[in-house]
Amino acid sequence: MWAANAIADEDKLDRDTARRVLRRSWHFAHPYRRTIQIALALVTLWTATSLAGPVIVKIGIDEGLTKHHTRSLNGAVAAYVIVTILAYLIARLQFIFLNRAGEGFLRDLRVRVFDHLQRQSLAYFDREKTGVLVARMTADIESMAELVQWGLLQFVSAGLLIAMSLVLLFVLSWELTLLALVVFPIIVVASFRFQRDSNRAYLTVRERIGHTLSAMQEGISGVRVIQAFAREGEQSRRFRETNQSLFESHMHSLKVSVWYFGLIEFCGILATASMVGVGGWLVHRGSVSLGIVTAFVLLLGSLFEPVQQLSQLYNTVQSSGASLQKLYAILDTVPDVHEAPRAVALPLVGALEVTAVAFEYLPGRPVVSGVSLNIAIGERLALVGPTGVGKSTLAKLMARLYDPTEGTVSFAGIDLRQATMRSLRDRIVVVPQEGFLFSGTIRDNLRIAKPAATDQDIAQALTDIGVLDQFLAFPEGLDTDVRERGSRLSAGERQLVALARAALVDPAVLVLDEATSNLDPGTEAEVEHALEALMSKRTVIVVAHRLSTVRRADRIAVIDQGGLTELGTHDELVAMDGGYAALSAAWERNQRSVG
Amino acid sequence: MKPSREADQSQPRSAQREMTPWRMLLGLLGEQRKPLWLAVGIGVLWAAAKVSIPRLIRNAIDRSIKGEESLLKWSLIIGSIGVLAGFLTAWRRWIAFRESRITETKLRGRLFNHILKLDVSYHDHAQTGQLMSRSSSDLQQVHAFVVMLPLTASNLFQVVAITVLLLSSDPLLAVVALAPLPFINFAAKRFSSRIHPAVLAVQQRQAALATVVEESISGVRVVKGFGAEAVQSAKLTREANQIQMVSLDAARIRSTFIPAIDLLPSLGLIAVLGLGGHRVLQGQMTIGQLVEFNSSVMLLVWPMRNIGMTLATAQRASVALQRVNQVLSTQSIVNDPPTPVQLPTAGVLGEVSFNNIRFGYDPDRPVLDGFDITVPAGSSIAIVGATGSGKSTIARLLLRFYDVQNGGIVLDGCDLRDLRLNDLRHAVGMVFEDTLLFHDSVAANIAFADVHAAMELIESAARLAGAEEFIRELPHGYDTILGERGYSLSGGQRQRIAIARAILANPRVLILDDATSAVDPAKEHEIREAMNTVMRGRTTVVIAHRPGTIALADMVLFLDQGHIAARGTHDELIRSSAGYRDVLASWRDRDQEAVDVHDDPSADHDSNADDDPGARNPNSDAAQMSPVAGD
Repeated sequence: MWAANAIADEDKLDRDTARRVLRRSWHFAHPYRRTIQIALALVTLWTATSLAGPVIVKIGIDEGLTKHHTRSLNGAVAAYVIVTILAYLIARLQFIFLNRAGEGFLRDLRVRVFDHLQRQSLAYFDREKTGVLVARMTADIESMAELVQWGLLQFVSAGLLIAMSLVLLFVLSWELTLLALVVFPIIVVASFRFQRDSNRAYLTVRERIGHTLSAMQEGISGVRVIQAFAREGEQSRRFRETNQSLFESHMHSLKVSVWYFGLIEFCGILATASMVGVGGWLVHRGSVSLGIVTAFVLLLGSLFEPVQQLSQLYNTVQSSGASLQKLYAILDTVPDVHEAPRAVALPLVGALEVTAVAFEYLPGRPVVSGVSLNIAIGERLALVGPTGVGKSTLAKLMARLYDPTEGTVSFAGIDLRQATMRSLRDRIVVVPQEGFLFSGTIRDNLRIAKPAATDQDIAQALTDIGVLDQFLAFPEGLDTDVRERGSRLSAGERQLVALARAALVDPAVLVLDEATSNLDPGTEAEVEHALEALMSKRTVIVVAHRLSTVRRADRIAVIDQGGLTELGTHDELVAMDGGYAALSAAWERNQRSVG
Repeated sequence: MKPSREADQSQPRSAQREMTPWRMLLGLLGEQRKPLWLAVGIGVLWAAAKVSIPRLIRNAIDRSIKGEESLLKWSLIIGSIGVLAGFLTAWRRWIAFRESRITETKLRGRLFNHILKLDVSYHDHAQTGQLMSRSSSDLQQVHAFVVMLPLTASNLFQVVAITVLLLSSDPLLAVVALAPLPFINFAAKRFSSRIHPAVLAVQQRQAALATVVEESISGVRVVKGFGAEAVQSAKLTREANQIQMVSLDAARIRSTFIPAIDLLPSLGLIAVLGLGGHRVLQGQMTIGQLVEFNSSVMLLVWPMRNIGMTLATAQRASVALQRVNQVLSTQSIVNDPPTPVQLPTAGVLGEVSFNNIRFGYDPDRPVLDGFDITVPAGSSIAIVGATGSGKSTIARLLLRFYDVQNGGIVLDGCDLRDLRLNDLRHAVGMVFEDTLLFHDSVAANIAFADVHAAMELIESAARLAGAEEFIRELPHGYDTILGERGYSLSGGQRQRIAIARAILANPRVLILDDATSAVDPAKEHEIREAMNTVMRGRTTVVIAHRPGTIALADMVLFLDQGHIAARGTHDELIRSSAGYRDVLASWRDRDQEAVDVHDDPSADHDSNADDDPGARNPNSDAAQMSPVAGD
């Protein structure tokens, strides 16, 4: 459909923004400037060759036919053949050059935006929606592909063609040009009106396509409920309405566009008719030659098409501009966690020290505040407390997934903000609650943690946590494809992969967000076992949800409302008879309630 | 390790009437044959008008040069032909697009109706995405093809008419002038078939890149946690380079064909100028004739291109139609009986007997075997068991989502298979474990079983389900729109809506399939009261794992691997069955952990719960029901 690149009014760029986007894109396309210049030169040449055809025909008629001059006719034919072959070669080259520049530009854009996204801190990803970020990297960039593939070429060549043929027409005959200019504005106005109206109509169509698809989706995913309540009839009736309203929006879109095609057809024939009438009359009077009239008929054809193309491209260019602007906005976001200029590598071991740390996602609303903690080498500390009070955030601060708003976290006396990212990630590892798997093999998923790991390293890591045999038992061993999101593995197996990653890095400090997912009792024991092996001889900070985990910790830190309220061993805290004592009692009560 | 889904054998299905895709399309188009023929007629008329123009130009030139007739007359004739052609082309376009949209809309409606009627085991194996693309991209291909029909008819006519005219005027020149044109057709067709795989390759690479992006963002905690940014960047760069490469491959194909298609007509023009020019010089031909040839060649450019494209469109439409037809000709294996019996409507209602049934999603691996129990009318039974023990299967069999392979289920003296599905499903109500809310108001979601239910009924159902309080607090009360694009409720609230939905349906047998699993245990007692009210005097099957809920039932069945391992009251089983105690204890552990997450307001920030692959997996629902996925 013509209006496939419909653009909503609110997405359109104003003149200033458009100019900025353009300037920046030119800057961005720096490596391809030479290619673009060559391409532009080729486009100009190509436009010239396509105008040469009618001129040659004119010469053939006027010099050859009218004057009965065979050699002129032969010369014209030969010239036409050469020009046509040249035109083909130039057209191919301009295509290739423009595409090279365009695809290179898009490739760079993809890589640059992604790299920049990767540099953002976790807080950024907490703020932004996954879907939106993915759309920037995919739909927004892909929407520009059309422009790059042929749009830009058409845009430039259509503009050039219009300008150059108008000049040529004027040179050939100003009387006929004036005549042509009567039809020309009709086409221009009609084309842009058509684009505007059909753009609007298409926005409605697009919205209704969305409705129809989600009604369809609802029907399919809700089919069990629908059948259980014998609702098939009612659901079908509703779908019929949605489907019908989509049909009607299609009809409306058709209605606002159909006249245009008739008008264009009419204008084309009208131009021919007026050339026959007026042109013929001028030939009679001897003020223009027959060749000129013929050239005019041919040139007018090449004048109408570019106007239609330009109006079609208008939307494509606008929506690409809007996409570019959004992408540049991402590139302009300064990452809030980054490596210091003269960062030092962390030593292999050290105590973790949290000093007066505060953190807020939104200014004025601290999630963590005034927390100070010293965790000795090899100590196991449990963070407990009601949910949503900042335990997990505190744990992430200890691994510099966020930077504290106030205070410092240091390892072996070095502020984490002064440490190199590499040594930091190697020394302090966070194991997330759920085992997140990337597509690829199990081995690929382990190497995420340490790209340079050898097969022996991997086997050793798996042996360390006692799961090597289990993983080798998969049909293709470690080369088993885990499929999308690891759907081929069970939840427990996914968690084992997550633990094995940590084992591969062999960190000094382990930050665990204890899993709360549903595991069946058998796997639960395996995960428990692997976890225990992983934790031994390391400093461990665990966000605990289970009494058993808390019991195994050396010390317990109770967090409430973002602050540290109690700190000590289990027995000490129970003796204090504070928040922990109450929590512990509730846990135990719960455990007795059945059986 | 879970066995792959593909290993599951779907049950044998017979296709309806075996119909070829094209015959199905012909059948559909048959209903629209009048407007379609009209469009073809208009198209032919339009083509005739267009074809006449070169001849008119020739006459104008030749006769006016001789001074026989005035140019104005010819100019006016051509002008009026222009009016006619403009009008006809708009009209043809109107009908062609309208009719193709009608076809598309009809097919989509049929697909939807048919999908809703297909039995649950079909849906267990079907992928939503696949069914969705049947109704979107595949129908789009069909639409593109139907539009082309009238257009192609008139184009064909135009090609034939011009060829005949030119041949009769000057056979040799006609052959030379028209010779390059078939190459346009050939090139257009070849281009279409070569660029299609290239475009697909680009789309595939784009999808691969999207996966890397999506994973890196969803798994950002892993990436950041291990400092694996460089690994992901390397993956992305590789994909971006791949896209660039395949895009340039596509560009090369375009660069070969597009200029060729553009320039081929010039060869015809050159031939006319060369050969025709010499004939004019030798006096064998008039200048008018030369111009006629010239404009005829130009007229044929578009139809030739178009016919080439139509052939490619037809190929794609054929594949799309085949896929659509495959869905439409699949027959449901759970159907109304030829001679249905009526459920009794008087007396004590709601007695359910499972008579020694055997059932397996894969017939060779029964989930239930020799399951035999009678639930007296008005009494309640709780079914307890580990995941994969077959308890949810019992609920699904009672609704006849599947047919048993052996034995039978009898409701009030009628075998379920002898009942009309509609009657059965009005008599049996179910509250699902995961509540699906539709994009509609709260009231409409409750009145799901009866669209015309009075507001008082809806409100009283909500009250009974303990949902009234939170509904009143919603932005628009009962008119609040729910569903994917609407207001989102918590798990517990959704389940209360589901219970209200079942209450309003007022079935004689009610199934509560883990209906309180998402409700905070601390608040479960509120719902328990509601359930107690609903269950009073009604046959109820409760699938549950919390002691408080289990205690509501008159009798408890402990299910282990498809067999009834123990039966009795809750207290009896606690005393007598170690397996029962174990299962309850393992469920309790899960609940205890789950509580933390459910109530966590910062869950979006601090937990990865959203990223649990199980939760996103479109098959998770089916996987739970599959006998092999449990344990």
